[in-house]
Amino acid sequence: MIVADPKPFQEVRGFLENYRKILILGCGTCVTVCLSGGEAQAELLASGLRIAFKKDGKEVTVLEDTVQRQCEQEFVTPVLERVKKEGIDAVVTLACGVGVNFLSDRIGAVPVFPGVNTTFYGGNVEAGLWSEMCAGCGECITYLTGGICPIARCSKHLLNGPCGGSEKGMCEVDPKNTECVWQLIYDRMKLLGRLDEMRNLLPMKDWRPAMDGGVRRTVREHIYRLSYKSQT
Amino acid sequence: MEKESHLYATCSAACPVHTDTREYVRRISTGDYEGALDVLLEVNPFSSVCGRICHHPCESQCRRQVIDAPVGLRLLKRFVVENTREYRIQRRKKVEPVLGRKIAVIGSGPSGLTAARDLAMLGYKVTVFEKDSMLGGMLAHAIPRYRLPVDALQEDIDDILALGIESRLNCEVGKDVSFKDLRKEYDAILIAVGLAESHSLPIPGIGSDGILLGIPFLWDVANGSPPTLGDRVMVIGGGNVAIDVARAAKRLGPSQVIMACLESREEMPAWKWEIEEAEEEGISIMNSWGPKAILEQNGKTTGIEFKRCTRVFDENKRFNPQYDESVTTSLDVDSVILTIGQKANLDFLKETTVGVDRGRLICDRESCTATERGVFVSGEVMTGPGSAIQAVATGHDVARAIHHYLETGETLKLPQESIETIGELPAQTAARARKFDHIDVRLTDASQRIKDFSPIEPGYTEAQALSEARRCLACGTGAVLAPSAQCAGCLTCVRICPYGVATVERTASMPAQECLTCGLCAAECPAAGVALARFATNRVKETLESILTDCSAEKIQRPLVVSYCCLYEATSRKYLREQTRSEIEETGILRVMVPCVGRLGSIDLVSPFELGADRVSIIACHETGCLYTGAEELLERRIQQARRFLDEIGVGGESLQFFRTHTSAEESWPQFWRESKEDLRATSAA
Repeated sequence: MIVADPKPFQEVRGFLENYRKILILGCGTCVTVCLSGGEAQAELLASGLRIAFKKDGKEVTVLEDTVQRQCEQEFVTPVLERVKKEGIDAVVTLACGVGVNFLSDRIGAVPVFPGVNTTFYGGNVEAGLWSEMCAGCGECITYLTGGICPIARCSKHLLNGPCGGSEKGMCEVDPKNTECVWQLIYDRMKLLGRLDEMRNLLPMKDWRPAMDGGVRRTVREHIYRLSYKSQT
Repeated sequence: MEKESHLYATCSAACPVHTDTREYVRRISTGDYEGALDVLLEVNPFSSVCGRICHHPCESQCRRQVIDAPVGLRLLKRFVVENTREYRIQRRKKVEPVLGRKIAVIGSGPSGLTAARDLAMLGYKVTVFEKDSMLGGMLAHAIPRYRLPVDALQEDIDDILALGIESRLNCEVGKDVSFKDLRKEYDAILIAVGLAESHSLPIPGIGSDGILLGIPFLWDVANGSPPTLGDRVMVIGGGNVAIDVARAAKRLGPSQVIMACLESREEMPAWKWEIEEAEEEGISIMNSWGPKAILEQNGKTTGIEFKRCTRVFDENKRFNPQYDESVTTSLDVDSVILTIGQKANLDFLKETTVGVDRGRLICDRESCTATERGVFVSGEVMTGPGSAIQAVATGHDVARAIHHYLETGETLKLPQESIETIGELPAQTAARARKFDHIDVRLTDASQRIKDFSPIEPGYTEAQALSEARRCLACGTGAVLAPSAQCAGCLTCVRICPYGVATVERTASMPAQECLTCGLCAAECPAAGVALARFATNRVKETLESILTDCSAEKIQRPLVVSYCCLYEATSRKYLREQTRSEIEETGILRVMVPCVGRLGSIDLVSPFELGADRVSIIACHETGCLYTGAEELLERRIQQARRFLDEIGVGGESLQFFRTHTSAEESWPQFWRESKEDLRATSAA
């Protein structure tokens, strides 16, 4: 899942200096799960903004709404209609960066501001803790590393680690909280009986499927632009 | 057969009239005693009586007992009745008999009067015939006053009569008015004469002086003309009436009262607590003995001989006692009171066509009918010996049957109830729940109580009732996923549920059988998607908004403190009562009573500032007083988080204050409010 953290309140407040009718838009999927941008968070931010504007003597209407996923046309359309109908002049989205873009592409002349900082693709390691586990590099190499990704989980993204900063299994960048991924890979390969493969150097990685190859898109031919759908 | 289906809490399911226990207890805990009375009277016109003498099957089935002890529901009921007397009188309403049909009710016990009430409420003209000078049947005459004072019964009866029911006292059907005349005059007749006579025993010496029958004995005692007893009294029987007889006899001063019954201690039909109370009063019990002969001298009872009873019930669980005649014992006694069973007096049906078979009224229980059209039956004469509340239930049933008959001319087969309950509280959930002492009342000391017929049990004080009410688990009224919820299956509810109840299978689920209604999941749900069937807090903001909109902003005494208070700490109605607008304006304190402040979400802590509050004060329970496991820790963390947010938005985290009740709510809360106000003034001045 995509993990995000709420932006500092004052930063968000700063985006909104010149608007009179603002919509705070929560997203019901990833940011709800990581407790940064669901309905409850949207209510809280909206309430906070109303209090702050009132304190400053500003008459601003702050509305709130939440959709299931802000990265889907069908879910977003009703919001776009609402924005138009109600004369909303700015939107703060609590979705990940995808939501910000998705809305901005469709909303016309109304600005869309991010309410969260999208941080990583990660997993919930324990209640209240999420950790990065994938970098979305476009060509997964974890079959070589016992299922553990050195790109996402090595502070230096080393393909052939560890570096000299690995100490007692921890990473020198954050020795308290971050394990050295190459220690994890070593331990895991040992457990899998594949330790000998560690002798092989990982080949140079092709970064074209990652961000270096330009904007990425994916087409599923079997449902893409169905002719009967365009006729109706 | 048609079936009616409901999902009941176990307490309500066990109650023959299915009193909505959870709701009246909830109303008590919110200080709405009048509303609680409404709930009680809806199904039980004998709420005052039941508050005193009900055998409380609700308590026996209370799911709290697997955690610690059942909730004291009977005493809570009594508390409600005793604290709403004026309201009960005010709510009385005469119902005009607009339907123009007339019904005669023979007998004024709980069943007959319940039916009379229901029928009068429907608009029938109801006349109750009672052979005695007082209404109430066995309640008036066979339950000793130390258990049921006359006033407590009279309250219920007055309420019923206020509907416009006519009562003919000292009017015995068959003597003062004939059954046939009633048939001519009334459109339907209800026979609810109960089992007002005692069985005797065909043993040698039974005709001696000093042999009495249980029910007439109780009747005389209740009417203030007790028979003369000898110094050593033997009561035969092991049921509840026998206990009443023995305990009543004890109060008449004999030096010895002994009970003897066929049953072993475990088999005795009397309630366990009644037996224990009798023993405390010095009554001894001889189990597994059957009377063989009364010993007499010159026609006067001098003793009784028993034979060993080896078995009471046969393989088919039928009453079929067997004896070992070789094992006998005898005791010197002066009086023997037989309380071995009851029967109805149906003499008034002689020379009528209503069917009676060997002293028993022939009736169909499913339709509450006798053998003659338009003649109905209810109460113990139909069911056999039972409880008062069971009789009330049959009163409701027969009223439905009579109404149906008078409307359609048809016999109504009452639908068989299919009672589904939420089931037992699973042991693993119970193990995680906090224990809270059941509040019991102390009966008058046994040595004192045998001196007269004064009531022996005190009711709950207000503080006791409020404290006991909060022990109710409000079974089945906990967390549910709101229909509109966009549950992301985030597992937050699973991770914070103190009882391990919440699960996620695509979306969250909190099984009603297990949920202990703490509301913590609702407070933490990031999708704001968990609703609480009761005690919902998701409308707090709207409620505050509407209150503050009604107040004149400029009139509110500043600073305005919105104070969330733990409802369960109230020991009186002082702070449970809804505040008037002017009270809020004058004090600048807006109270929000919450059943555990742990269920307040972050938005509840912040939004009052949006509505103009200068301070938000959260007043929690005593240090160790929280009902809910984990609520304190979660609330503390939520407050820290809300304070950080308030700092960020420029309100200042210190504006959110937290207090714990000490001594009592009534004493400590005003002090907290003063502190909040003074603290704010000092901050402003600085």
